[in-house]
Amino acid sequence: MNALDVAISALKAIVILVAVIQVVPVMIYVERKVAALIQDRPGPNRVGPLGLLQPVADAVKFLFKEDPIPLNTNRLLYTLAPFLSLLPACLVIAALPIADKAVLFGKEITIQIADLDVSLIYVLAIGSLGVYGILFGGWASNNKFSLIGALRSASQMVSYELPLGLATVGAVMVYGTYSLREMVVLQDGTLGGFLPNWGIFYQPLGFLIFLISSFAETNRLPFDLPETEAELVAGFHTEYGSMKFATFFMAEYMNLSTMAGMMTVLFFGGWHLPWITDQQVLDWVGSQNLLCLIQVVTYISKVAVFLFLYVLIRWTLPRFRFDQLLHLAWTNLIPLGLINVAVSAVLMYLMRGPA
Amino acid sequence: MKEMIFALFSIITLLTGAGVVISRNVIYSAFNLVLCFFGLASLYLLWGATFISMVQILIYAGAIVVLFVFVVMLLNFEHSSERSQNFWIILGSGIGSWVLSLFLLRVLSNTLGASPYQSAAPTNLRTVSKLLFTQYLWPFEVLTIFMLALIIGIYLLGRPESEGTQS
Amino acid sequence: MMEKLTSMVYWTHFVSVALFGLGLLGFLIRRNALVVLMCLELMLNAVNLILVEIAMKTGTSEGIILVVFVITVAAAEVAVGLGIILNLYRIKKTVDLTSFRILSG
Repeated sequence: MNALDVAISALKAIVILVAVIQVVPVMIYVERKVAALIQDRPGPNRVGPLGLLQPVADAVKFLFKEDPIPLNTNRLLYTLAPFLSLLPACLVIAALPIADKAVLFGKEITIQIADLDVSLIYVLAIGSLGVYGILFGGWASNNKFSLIGALRSASQMVSYELPLGLATVGAVMVYGTYSLREMVVLQDGTLGGFLPNWGIFYQPLGFLIFLISSFAETNRLPFDLPETEAELVAGFHTEYGSMKFATFFMAEYMNLSTMAGMMTVLFFGGWHLPWITDQQVLDWVGSQNLLCLIQVVTYISKVAVFLFLYVLIRWTLPRFRFDQLLHLAWTNLIPLGLINVAVSAVLMYLMRGPA
Repeated sequence: MKEMIFALFSIITLLTGAGVVISRNVIYSAFNLVLCFFGLASLYLLWGATFISMVQILIYAGAIVVLFVFVVMLLNFEHSSERSQNFWIILGSGIGSWVLSLFLLRVLSNTLGASPYQSAAPTNLRTVSKLLFTQYLWPFEVLTIFMLALIIGIYLLGRPESEGTQS
Repeated sequence: MMEKLTSMVYWTHFVSVALFGLGLLGFLIRRNALVVLMCLELMLNAVNLILVEIAMKTGTSEGIILVVFVITVAAAEVAVGLGIILNLYRIKKTVDLTSFRILSG
């Protein structure tokens, strides 16, 4: 570990983090435009061409707004809460394998901040910490609606972590590894000659469970019970304004991008193009760095498709009731996840023999 | 370098652990507990036990302390300040814990401190899971039965009373 | 002394024992049932640290397996403990352990 390695790691972390944060302004714009499209209205169209500068205007507005602190609250936790929710969202990114390796300064650089051997558990573990920001934020707001939102969020996120984890167990069994990077590498090529060799064709039910649970984990509609505007004003962030509110907002979008990235990596081949192996692409373009660029673009477009799906579903489906939400997790998704694990195990034993 | 980082995280763990015990506000105790578990997870990581470190964060910080915080907020005893214990009990407990700790430290240093490194084959996840499902299958199965009993027990505890006297 | 301060083994022993002591102390002197449960967790974690150290130092897997068992049991213990505390709160509207004296005559 010499100085160059340290510098490269630091640079990698900064570049990837800054790149992923860009998902926030893009998502603000896309969300507003898609909402407008679905509700048959023009949407933002005043600031800049096609309203493209709307995110900038939003950011400026947030920066200059008053930053209220409610009376008789725990100021420390109130101030800390938004950052407690943003921090895990940023930390999770470290484990996502965005592309294979590039060659720079005569060194092979993997486009992933940290290649842990248990990166799947890392993502699940750190991802589950986002609930503290919501819990403390809702509690420290000294407001009934915020507290109810926070309690809902806690029970919802703890409940949905189980199906989320169970859905990934199937993928772990199929690939025989906890490392997200190795999982992506194993998804190269084609399956049976006509399908891409992606996880979804091995674990269709697992993907479905993961998709549904990810909506609940990120507090998005149809599972946004912690912030139902019709019942709880704005849920846990009712009392937040200015940049503190914006921080919660950023955390939500970064969690979304992480979940989209996880689905891409676990079930949709990560950086691989469908039907084409990396080796073939490398032969055509002839350069490792160009291949790496193609991989990054592929990864980003896959993540973008999932983010678009999130936005689309948010503006089309109605909200669940809270008991329905918990019933879905405990009586449908968890048994389904267990069945998925058992059936996968039996099928794998029949097809591959004992490990 | 690694030892310095280890020392740093050890101190963080101890300070937050002390925070759990001395905080008046239960919310602060829970918050310190999260940080303490994080410190422990980083100590595991520095020892090279990545899996245990991640499980520590996933289960302790991500689930157990969330339950604590959940209950604290559900009961909402913000205003009920805890009376402190009798002075003699505090003194006795303090001396007792202190003596027991010294004794344990002595025992640990004598038994483990002297034993040299033999880290020829680092523990890997595959061997751990293989052992868990072969040699230690029975304890594992007992644990599953235990968990089943636990689920039933918690259901009974949390069940609303049939007379409708639930508050 | 310097040698001890820069040794991971000594730090591990020190942290583990000190955490155990702190947990025991809190267990004995705190009256709030929730904090008492938290102190129990501290004590269990102190033991886990030693187990991890043994596993990593000797290259055997038994320590890791024991830690997995301890974590499972700890999670179970907290779930039951919190259920009991909630029920106690329902009866007495307090979680002060010294106010539960029905069985002490």
